[in-house]
Amino acid sequence: MVPGSVAKNEVFTVKAIIQHQMETGLRTDSAGKTIPRKIINQFVCRYGELEVFRADLHEAVSANPFLEFQLLATENGRLEFSWREDGGATYSLFHDIVVT
Amino acid sequence: MSLTRRHILANTMATVACAVALLTPKRTQGADEMEDFLWRLTGRKATPSNRLRLVMPAEFPTGYTVPMSISVDSPMTEADHVKSVRVFAPKNPLVEVVQFHFVPGRSLSSVSTRVRLAAPQHVVALAEMSDGSLLMAKAWVTVATNGCL
Repeated sequence: MVPGSVAKNEVFTVKAIIQHQMETGLRTDSAGKTIPRKIINQFVCRYGELEVFRADLHEAVSANPFLEFQLLATENGRLEFSWREDGGATYSLFHDIVVT
Repeated sequence: MSLTRRHILANTMATVACAVALLTPKRTQGADEMEDFLWRLTGRKATPSNRLRLVMPAEFPTGYTVPMSISVDSPMTEADHVKSVRVFAPKNPLVEVVQFHFVPGRSLSSVSTRVRLAAPQHVVALAEMSDGSLLMAKAWVTVATNGCL
């Protein structure tokens, strides 16, 4: 969740939730076999190419990880949110922000 | 101000969990257990500071999704900023929780998330400042259910 437009030099809040089970690798299935770890291990926010916030996530982050953070509106540009899953898959999402 | 709802869908189903194998910090005579834990983990001395705030509920019904907010008093300039904040849960089977990285002039030094706690414990946050100092804050949280099983 990101505002569509923000006044220059104002602070705005970004809220992100990723639907993901965040399997810790510590559970066993009914046969007693370990369920392999599969978590989102990194989340990065870029604002016009520049990295402005990053989170390195471990097993103790809740399922469906939620992040709320604050950025400074410096210029019109694209916010890119990308996140990386164990195994190397990466996902991203874009949001253009208008700075007035 | 128009708000765009962003629902990020990454993957699959299934439930949560972890397991138990509590890490028990070795007690040194006279030394604070948390300081000892941090020293063994980072090899550095952290200073308790009220510039760093770790806000969590003192009691929470479930260990699966305990809310956590962190903020650091900082001008976030090139000369004086917070580089990162790490969070540890010493009584979880895996003690590392999360690390946040901030950028001077671009992000504020505050963040909220939700975490899993395996047992009632002190959660600890460590802020690494641009001058190389390490600030520490802890918060006691009692959870009624183990969020890792």
